[in-house]
Amino acid sequence: MSAMQINGLGLVGGFGCGRGDLQQALLHGRAPLSHVELRGHSFPLLQADTSPLETYLNKRALRRIDHFSRMALLGAFQAMADAEWSDPDPSRVGLVIGSGYGAMRTTFDFLDSVLDDGDICASPTAFSNSVHNAAAAHISIQLKMTGPSLTISQFDQSLVSGLVSAHQWLSEKRVDAVLLGVVDEYCSVAGYCWERYFNVQDARTMTPLDFTRTSAVAGEGAVFLLLQSDRDTKPRYGSISNVEMGNLSGSQPTTVSSHPLILGCEGSSLSGSVYQKHLAVDQPVACYTPLYGASPVTQGFDLAVAALALRRQQLFPSVDNGGSYYPGKVVNEPQACRKLSCLKYGFNGEYAAIHLERD
Amino acid sequence: MSRAVAITGAGCLCAAGMSLDSSFDSMIRGERKPQPPRSFYSDHTEAYPVFELYDSLPATDVDGELLRTTLLAISATMEAIADAGFIGNELAQLRVGVCIGTTVGSAMNNEEFYSEFRKGADPDMAPIDRYLRSNPAAAIARHYQLDGPCQTVVNACSSGTDAIGIGAAWIRSGYCDIVLAGGADELCRVTYNGFASLMIYDALPVKPFDVHRKGLNLGEGAGIMVLESDKLLAKRKKTPRGYVLGYGSATDAYHLTAPHPDGRGLRRAISEALQTAAVSPEQMAFVNAHGTGTPDNDKVESLVIADLFPGVPFVSTKGYTGHTLGAAGAIEATLTLMCLERQKLPENIGFKTADPQLLIQPVSRVTEIDGTIALSESLAFGGNNSAVVIALERLP
Repeated sequence: MSAMQINGLGLVGGFGCGRGDLQQALLHGRAPLSHVELRGHSFPLLQADTSPLETYLNKRALRRIDHFSRMALLGAFQAMADAEWSDPDPSRVGLVIGSGYGAMRTTFDFLDSVLDDGDICASPTAFSNSVHNAAAAHISIQLKMTGPSLTISQFDQSLVSGLVSAHQWLSEKRVDAVLLGVVDEYCSVAGYCWERYFNVQDARTMTPLDFTRTSAVAGEGAVFLLLQSDRDTKPRYGSISNVEMGNLSGSQPTTVSSHPLILGCEGSSLSGSVYQKHLAVDQPVACYTPLYGASPVTQGFDLAVAALALRRQQLFPSVDNGGSYYPGKVVNEPQACRKLSCLKYGFNGEYAAIHLERD
Repeated sequence: MSRAVAITGAGCLCAAGMSLDSSFDSMIRGERKPQPPRSFYSDHTEAYPVFELYDSLPATDVDGELLRTTLLAISATMEAIADAGFIGNELAQLRVGVCIGTTVGSAMNNEEFYSEFRKGADPDMAPIDRYLRSNPAAAIARHYQLDGPCQTVVNACSSGTDAIGIGAAWIRSGYCDIVLAGGADELCRVTYNGFASLMIYDALPVKPFDVHRKGLNLGEGAGIMVLESDKLLAKRKKTPRGYVLGYGSATDAYHLTAPHPDGRGLRRAISEALQTAAVSPEQMAFVNAHGTGTPDNDKVESLVIADLFPGVPFVSTKGYTGHTLGAAGAIEATLTLMCLERQKLPENIGFKTADPQLLIQPVSRVTEIDGTIALSESLAFGGNNSAVVIALERLP
């Protein structure tokens, strides 16, 4: 596959907003944990604050835009600004958004309107904002982007599936650039499901490299990248040289033992067992999920970390140092880095691998 | 290098029929059966008609309980794969991608579960388990033990058309040997209430492009195409049914639910589809319109068709299928292929009286066509527009 340059980055998550906040969190190895009320008890969450969006849009424009689309808009505005792209033609910028679950809060707001007052009082505003591509619509309207727009819902593989399409668009020259983002939000129903599936009500510290322990903390947020085909100019961050998605039942992701792997493990023993089985002990690994939590956006944040590392040509120390539980090689000191990969396994054997480099 | 991508199999289930052939035949006979919903209740003062499937679905041998949307998708895939001539686990030996459009199939909106949750109860997780197992692209891949790329497209009502265009690109770039591409959606109380709340639901059977049109009727179904690489085609010595010649998509960047009044995005999507197909508007045997029967959609669409395709016959098949949302574009693409094969169009059922505000009228009777190329188009919430050019032959 031909390479795609990462030339702009926008992000909001539990660590804060923008690449500066993520970089600070990476250097300090921690992010502030919030606690939200969930059915009478406290639920730990790496929560995204979208108030910086008011830098880009006034309150009136934001009036009917929900949290999900606000996170997406904030990521999109930042990525375009970060690219420092003078005089872009918005009609030649494609938009790809991936989301595991879409605008859940608004979906349930719509159900509230029906359950509270009957079918006849269903909320048209909530309905039209609950469709998965509502965030893409808001972005295209605000950024006047009239090119192709694609929203994907592939759970944890949404990012890598989106990258496949972004690459197709760039290589077919449908567009000059692709603004690609992933976004997912927390809501109380998600919190309930989380507790039913993971039973980690007292979790405070994620140890995702301990594959036998469930320590996941929920996260939410958005990550956006401005991608362009490989050109004469150097990328602002680095280039994505290949993308792989598949299932371990039929294939394996490519790994190179000299290139560090950023693991998308999230502190779940279910998917942890897959990492345990398939990772070579001599493979240098790092994991940063304690900074942004577990959600379908996790690999997006991993990709942002990889981009930042390539820009400074130095990989950040792993936030989970591997303790006494990880038998392999963990990157625990800053390490020179020109090539690396992001790898995520699902508990059904699905994998998503993104390979990056900077010449 | 030709950009044409071979279609070697097609499958379709909708209210018009439980297979592509039977759907087409019933349309040619002018049959349609919109009824009040049977699969769910509603407390609206009037029961809006829907196009529901009453027969049991062919997909029964599936792993675990799945959403109806996913069962519809697998059922249409079964027909398409059989049509393409694959048997047993042949597909599992190939690089097969799955690209499926949907709306309901991606929404975590189980009312019963949420109602219990709101009351403070601890609802059983079965509906969530089912939802998590039912991602249409992933479920099809799992069902056939496929290992290629998976993509569930959620571009609202253009999802099915987009999935076919995306799938064709995966073949063209050499990324896959085969792509199972299409769309699926089930009838659902949530979307029924949603469209009613927007006041774009006709209480009578839908009347696309008619002066008295009041809105859409929902439907359910699935349409799937087997797209195949030239290399595999040569190896299998298979004659394709047709080709995806071109695809285009563009965004209005105008409004969350209303189309741009001049059809800005639709024009661009059509222009890109024609350009990538290397065909001109005059070469179209017909246009399969989105034709939802809503005042805004039909107005904008007829304006664009009149401008870009003067004299070209057009039809909306939603009068037979209802609006199947994420499946619509895929169902209509398979029907477009059938119309080309049989060289005839069904009448645009529901259309009786021309709207003086619209410059053109759809075909009002079964119409013979002359040509081997047609265009199928979709408009969607979010301002998405997409179009796909289908042909019986590869162009020289």
